[in-house]
Amino acid sequence: MAVEMKLPPVLDIIRGNIVKHGNPLALKGAEVASWAKRLSLPAQGEILFYTGGEYQLVPFIDSLVKTMTHMDQGGKGFSLMMGVRNILDKAGINAEKIYASVLAKDKERFNNVCYKAAVILQELGYDLCYGGEQELYSGALLYELGYWQDLREYGQKVVQSLKQSGAKTIVCLSPHAAEVFKLVYPKLVKGFQIEVRTFVEMVWEKRDKLPAVKFDDSVVIHDSCRLARELGIDQELRDIMESVGAAVREPMRSRKWTTCCGGPGKLLFPEISHKIADRRIGELEETGAGVILTSCPYCLAALQGGTKEGSETGVEDLIEFLYRGFAV
Amino acid sequence: MSGDLQKEFGDYTKNLNRASKDTNIETAISRAVKAYRATVSDAMERYPHTPDLAAEVRQIKTDSIANNDALLQQAMESVERNKGKAFYARDKQQALEIVAEIIGKEKIVVKGKSMLGEELHLREYLEEKGNEVWESDLGEFILQLKHDRPMHILSPAIHVPREQVAEIFSKFFGREVPPDIAQEVAIVKDFLRDKYFKAHVGISSANVVAADTGAMVIIENEGNIRLSTAAPPVHIVVVGIEKIVPTFQESMKVAEVTWRYAQYGVPSYVSMISGPSKTGDIEKVTTYGAHGPREFYVVFVDNGRTTMAQDELFSQALHCLRCGGCMYECPVFQVTAGNFGHTYLGGIGSVWTAFVAGGLEKAAPLLYTCLRCGRCVERCPMQIDVPAMVGELRNRIVNGEEKEIGLDSQAS
Repeated sequence: MAVEMKLPPVLDIIRGNIVKHGNPLALKGAEVASWAKRLSLPAQGEILFYTGGEYQLVPFIDSLVKTMTHMDQGGKGFSLMMGVRNILDKAGINAEKIYASVLAKDKERFNNVCYKAAVILQELGYDLCYGGEQELYSGALLYELGYWQDLREYGQKVVQSLKQSGAKTIVCLSPHAAEVFKLVYPKLVKGFQIEVRTFVEMVWEKRDKLPAVKFDDSVVIHDSCRLARELGIDQELRDIMESVGAAVREPMRSRKWTTCCGGPGKLLFPEISHKIADRRIGELEETGAGVILTSCPYCLAALQGGTKEGSETGVEDLIEFLYRGFAV
Repeated sequence: MSGDLQKEFGDYTKNLNRASKDTNIETAISRAVKAYRATVSDAMERYPHTPDLAAEVRQIKTDSIANNDALLQQAMESVERNKGKAFYARDKQQALEIVAEIIGKEKIVVKGKSMLGEELHLREYLEEKGNEVWESDLGEFILQLKHDRPMHILSPAIHVPREQVAEIFSKFFGREVPPDIAQEVAIVKDFLRDKYFKAHVGISSANVVAADTGAMVIIENEGNIRLSTAAPPVHIVVVGIEKIVPTFQESMKVAEVTWRYAQYGVPSYVSMISGPSKTGDIEKVTTYGAHGPREFYVVFVDNGRTTMAQDELFSQALHCLRCGGCMYECPVFQVTAGNFGHTYLGGIGSVWTAFVAGGLEKAAPLLYTCLRCGRCVERCPMQIDVPAMVGELRNRIVNGEEKEIGLDSQAS
């Protein structure tokens, strides 16, 4: 018996964006791949550099949630964070306006995370290829939100696009992509045979080649749930910090006991999500560290959103922090 | 099944948001989380065998759920052999009718805390039938007067501070009750003590049931279970069929793991009740109802549990000991308390809701609230994989229950 239930529209819209546009927010391929212009990476090779468009969409998330919470159609209470392209039809809001409201410096920062990650891996001696505008989002949210039938179909498209690279290994920047490729694809999608690695693992293997990061303060590591619990990667982050000479402080809850940043709740329960981020920031700031380090685009977005104005603690992705060593 | 979940989601979200701004909840839960973590880590140091015992209990529960039909049969036979009466209730309605039939009308009933009682809306049903029913657990008693529902399975009134309790009590008892915890406890003690001895029936649940002896194992601290199950002439146990384990020895292991993770350290009381009160002191003639109840009834409730047991993925939900540990570690629960719930609370509660307390429709908002962050799994002594079950239930909401859409063991 099929269950027909009408879920809040945001979920179906996210689904539609992924299936139709290959990105949860329907960002255009050109936008997603713009960071790579300076590097001219080949489309084929042994190691496929995979962004999944995830860091690129980070600056749009908060702006969209804000707009949609404000809109709060019919006082239903939940945020109708709709995919930009669909908002035009469904709610009469101008998509380009929302895009325009995202600050250029934010877009640049998060696009740069991809650039910096590629440079770091290249400097460590990895030969990378990249799908560019053809790269498709992994579909992790389809899995997360229950659209498994869609993922079965969409996953085939993703597998095809990955195969075109001829790569044996895929290196994922986002732990969510790594999780869905490594743990879910083998159970839902046929023909997925690429070795899945995370950026963190690739760096960890060659950490002795990392340049030192000159940083007078200490860092506190916010383990992402997916990385620490699903993928079992936590000590690697500490080892990497040791290699670059950064002092690490541990929050009250870390590694397998890490506290979620609240990010997964952002689509449907933005207020609760924000509150959770706030509390996690509190746990992290308690350590007195100068920088909160994470290694997940959604943690980065949620924690960045949770920091109070005027707070002296910065939030950085591991990629950004390591790049400090190369940028000298 | 069909339905527009948007209103359901809307009302629920408003409530969740309101809860997250409630300073009572924030203060109470922050204190509770801190205390829970400290007490449990302390208890683990003092009783370092606990994690190994928990692993053993996981196996006991797995085997017991797999063998539930036979154990139920055996447990019912044991209860009857002990001169009690055993019933099997297929669903909620049947369970309520059996209990109401035993009790009748215009009786005074004292009741211990029970999640199953909440699942069945047992108190409300018996009240409708014209009985006077008192919750004897202090937290539940407060909620009964407040017309509220439990916000935590072990500390149901976790969200009500002493000042509010004083207000509620002053109104109910018709005299000024100061916001002093000791005095608040004392006034309820006096009030209920009278009820225990006037009551016609005492109702309790059980944390574990031993099939071989028919023992109902009940863990508590207050002593209200002791009184409600001993003072009235009739004792009715209403218990889920998933609580049955094969032997008395095993039931003790399950009980110890339950209370250890439930922050009891060592509970003040563990009751083991296997039958009616009896004596043979005069001429060795067995006479029932010596000091305790003359009649002893056990209602084993299914209400969807067998469906869960038969599902490869969901049978693990029946391993839940209701220790409540997961809730203290849940980031959503920490800011909303039991508002993230519908009878059953938190991530595991969303799964239970789907099967026994409202179905997928009621469970949907909860299922989409879970962050799937997985910290509950780290805490859970049974290592119940809540994120995996939540994922599959979301899939069922979207795609229905066709098996071929679920995860294969191997697709590639």
